[in-house]
Amino acid sequence: MSNLASSTRMNQSRSILSNTIPQASPATLTPPVENESIAIDITGFNAFYGSFQALHDLNLKIPNQKVTAFIGPSGCGKSTLLKWCNRMNDIVPIARATGSLTVGGRNILTRSTDVVDLRRQVGMVFQKANPFPKSIFDNVAYGVRLHYKTSRSELSDLVEWSLKKAALWDEVKDRLKRSALGLSGGQQQRLCIARAIATGPEILLMDEPCSALDPASTARIEDLIFELREQFTIVIVTHNMQQAARCSDRTAFFFDGKIVEEGATEDVFTRPRKQQTEDYVTGKFG
Amino acid sequence: MKDSVAQPRKHRSVARRKLFNNSFSVICLLVSSLAIVVLATLLIAIFSTGGNWLSFEMLSGSHRENNPEGSGIGQAILGSLVICSICGLVALPIGVGTAIFLEEFKPKGRLLRIFHGLVQLNINNLAGVPSIVYGILGLTAFVYMFGAFSPIRVNDQPDYEIGATYFYQTKTLGGQYVRFPAVPLVQPVIKIKQGQIASKINGDKFKLNVVSASTEKSKYANQVNKTVLLGTEAKLSNRNGNQVYEANTIGGEPFVFPAEATYSQFAKITDPITVSNSNGDTFSLNVLSKSEPIPTDPTILAQSVFADSPDPNKRSSASIFRENSLFHLHLPFSKSVLSAALTLALVILPIVIIASQEAIRGVPQTLREAAFGMGATRWQVVRSAVLPSATPGIMTGAILAMSRAIGEAAPLLAVMGGVLGTTNHLSSLMDKTPVLPVTIFKWAGDENQGFEHLAAAAIIVLLAFLLLMNSLAIFIRYRYEKKLS
Amino acid sequence: MSNTSAGQGELLGDAVSPRGKLRPRSSAASKRWQTVVVTGLVFCALVSVFTTIGIILMLVVESWGFFSDDKIEIWKFLTGTKWTVGQTQGELSYGIWPLLSGTLRITGIAMMLALPMGLVSAIYLSEYASKRTRSLLKPTLEILAGIPTVVLGFFAVKFITPYMLEPLGDFKTFNATSAGIAVGILCIPLVASLAEDALQAVPNRLREGAYGLGANRLEVTLKVVVPAALSGIISAFLLALARAIGETMVVALAAGSTPTLTLDPRMPSQTMTGFIVETFKSESVVPGTLSYFSIYAVAAVLFLSTFGITLVGQIIRMKYREVYD
Repeated sequence: MSNLASSTRMNQSRSILSNTIPQASPATLTPPVENESIAIDITGFNAFYGSFQALHDLNLKIPNQKVTAFIGPSGCGKSTLLKWCNRMNDIVPIARATGSLTVGGRNILTRSTDVVDLRRQVGMVFQKANPFPKSIFDNVAYGVRLHYKTSRSELSDLVEWSLKKAALWDEVKDRLKRSALGLSGGQQQRLCIARAIATGPEILLMDEPCSALDPASTARIEDLIFELREQFTIVIVTHNMQQAARCSDRTAFFFDGKIVEEGATEDVFTRPRKQQTEDYVTGKFG
Repeated sequence: MKDSVAQPRKHRSVARRKLFNNSFSVICLLVSSLAIVVLATLLIAIFSTGGNWLSFEMLSGSHRENNPEGSGIGQAILGSLVICSICGLVALPIGVGTAIFLEEFKPKGRLLRIFHGLVQLNINNLAGVPSIVYGILGLTAFVYMFGAFSPIRVNDQPDYEIGATYFYQTKTLGGQYVRFPAVPLVQPVIKIKQGQIASKINGDKFKLNVVSASTEKSKYANQVNKTVLLGTEAKLSNRNGNQVYEANTIGGEPFVFPAEATYSQFAKITDPITVSNSNGDTFSLNVLSKSEPIPTDPTILAQSVFADSPDPNKRSSASIFRENSLFHLHLPFSKSVLSAALTLALVILPIVIIASQEAIRGVPQTLREAAFGMGATRWQVVRSAVLPSATPGIMTGAILAMSRAIGEAAPLLAVMGGVLGTTNHLSSLMDKTPVLPVTIFKWAGDENQGFEHLAAAAIIVLLAFLLLMNSLAIFIRYRYEKKLS
Repeated sequence: MSNTSAGQGELLGDAVSPRGKLRPRSSAASKRWQTVVVTGLVFCALVSVFTTIGIILMLVVESWGFFSDDKIEIWKFLTGTKWTVGQTQGELSYGIWPLLSGTLRITGIAMMLALPMGLVSAIYLSEYASKRTRSLLKPTLEILAGIPTVVLGFFAVKFITPYMLEPLGDFKTFNATSAGIAVGILCIPLVASLAEDALQAVPNRLREGAYGLGANRLEVTLKVVVPAALSGIISAFLLALARAIGETMVVALAAGSTPTLTLDPRMPSQTMTGFIVETFKSESVVPGTLSYFSIYAVAAVLFLSTFGITLVGQIIRMKYREVYD
């Protein structure tokens, strides 16, 4: 494909990955996206585990290139919604959902959805860092190898790029061939983020990514989230209200399987419209 | 305080309870230590009986009738190793495959889930089936193949076979053995085989039943027109332009079956033909007529035979021999290394499956989630995330299953019989071979008391193999644990 | 979908690697490959299904060959008290009871040894043993479990009989007691490890509750833990029983080749498995003969009894696992 053709194609796309590459020529730069564009559109969404209904008639629009935080007490269904965004719930045999959940203009709840491709576009970072018992390099290269045919040099460029993005490169560049299990908890979690962005997703889902980390590591991950928001749409589930307040642009408050309130983070935390939200953000329950 | 519950008048003495507790603990320790005593006694008994009999000759030799001092277990060790290796090569992939299917591909549908559960229950039950029953299954399914083919007897040419070369061999006047290739021919007369499909004159097809002369007449009274006596010969004839063999049943009814080219048992040597000797030299065989004088030159003598010798030791005809390549195979497998290995594979299959399942279950769910989250298909998750982590566990289980296989005697006794020694070296999967456990069994039951010591020595070798395998399993586990930390 | 994925690949390629574009793998291809692999896995699983079907089919068909013989009547097989199949002279009798009773005698002796010893070892390992004694006992039991049965058979006939039993009384060279003891020895580790699993599956909160009431270790063990693990222990006993019934090489070496119907443990006592091995050992098995078919008839009885007991044991085991998992 010619340079011209590919740049046309990129202009149509909402991806802004190209911005991030120092080598990329100015011609390939993508113009800034409109603030109003929507990454995930959820309408009339219900989720079930067997006969138990975990989520009731949700309506939510998650904007592009923003950090959206899901907050709420445990068991309120926020992780369930997150996991439906890249169909991770498919592993749970009794899980099912109705309504519509649109990613990039396509309803992903349909039977014909290619979950493999979906998960490449929508990456996920889990509660507990879960690197594979392989080398650091192989961990980052894992998803790339799954989805692309690459040469060795392309692969190592990509691994370096991802590790730099995840602010881990300087710490691990001398031991890429060592086992990832030798890293500290915070490093492992950043490795998982590097692994997730290596395949070139547009959306990153994070399921309480700092809940198992010490405060220092948590701060580093929060900084990272802050940087990554320029290139990815990030959805983060968190128990920690300060975290949501620190690093998110928008916040959705979940309670008992319903979204009580959703809006700009500042509004939700300082001027909540609902009593329930106020009680939660001020620490009366949860 | 009047409302309070009445205190029991007599409560059990704390001291007594303590005594019971302590004495029970002592009894427990004693009973449990009995296992150590038993193991120690067993080892001491075996080493004191067989220890002195271990020697290089014993490890390399083979069985000799009534000669324990000259007998050895070389062939048996080789046989055991070969059979166990093939058994592992068969059972390991199938077992791991089954375990992956059961653990990682759990179906969603109700009916399929029931099927899944039944397969699991079935495997747990198979683990409890006595190994001798597997032996009988091996005998039926591999050795005789449910009677689907004509049974193979000694020096018989099987119906379906690859990897064998037939040649005629004879001894020259000079005493050297020479051979020349055999060509299958339509023989003018052949012996009828059990199970031969034949047709009656009216075209009806049936399966021939061959009985020996000593068989009671009542056993085949109702099917005399399908039965012939053992050794009955059929003659070649021409029917409508096709070559067929013709014979009569005991009941006197004629039948025919199509003629095929086979090897005759003997070939008469009349013309000078090209032969080769055991060194691979080829030369033209010198055929002497009876009236000619016997040559005196030993070189010529070594290359000469009589065209028709009155002396049975100087045969003029050559008899058929078979040489098997490494890839010799025939159907049915008959009593062979392959039958034995496949049977043992069935014995250890449930063990391999259950061990692999436990190993796979031990892989943390977070690894699977990680791989799924990256967009891996279920199989990619298994191959790249589950299997690498489960491999040490699977290997440990597989080695333990193999150590079960190497000690199994009953199924091998069923599918290969009590082979103690063979004259030929193990050259193909269709050969029989002695194995360690069967050798121990036969020697332990031998009337010659010397074999008792030899059996004990063989047990020491067997136990050494088991020790080696178990150490390997422990080593793998240890290395894996070290790697993880 | 694959179009989108291709587009994305090119994007990423341009963006990330100046040296060339990444060529996307088609997800359809990896799904096709998965279908191929799953088909293969199903075939692997079918091997064990066909093994069971094969065993049952073979036993039914070939036992039919035995019972369809004019000389054989099925009720005489099930009730007869004399077994002479395979013997050259004398009248043909084919009552299963001498073989069955031989199996039961030896199994009985083995269970009398293995059940109490195995259970006590399990209790000790699970409730009493310190880490050090455990690290000695557990491997010992594992080694004992790994000893080939032909070795135990040799031990029985060459040591247990001459050195332990013959001084005690008029034991024959081949007798039920010696074989029973050896079978018992090989069942102890099995009972111990399965029963220990069951004891360990009892949640600690039960023990803590009882200790909190002032019970000592013996009382906690016997009144709380063992009753709670009872179904698991019973299933361990059943699995050991099936193992003892199916045990072959020990009885073939130590129990002799005379089918007897007696209660005297000093007498030889051929079992069902012993008969089968004896027939194979003589290498006179010719397909189609009565002694060939009789193997299958005996094996059918053997298979039915072990399969039935194992099945019950498995079901009980699954039940107790459900309770605490």
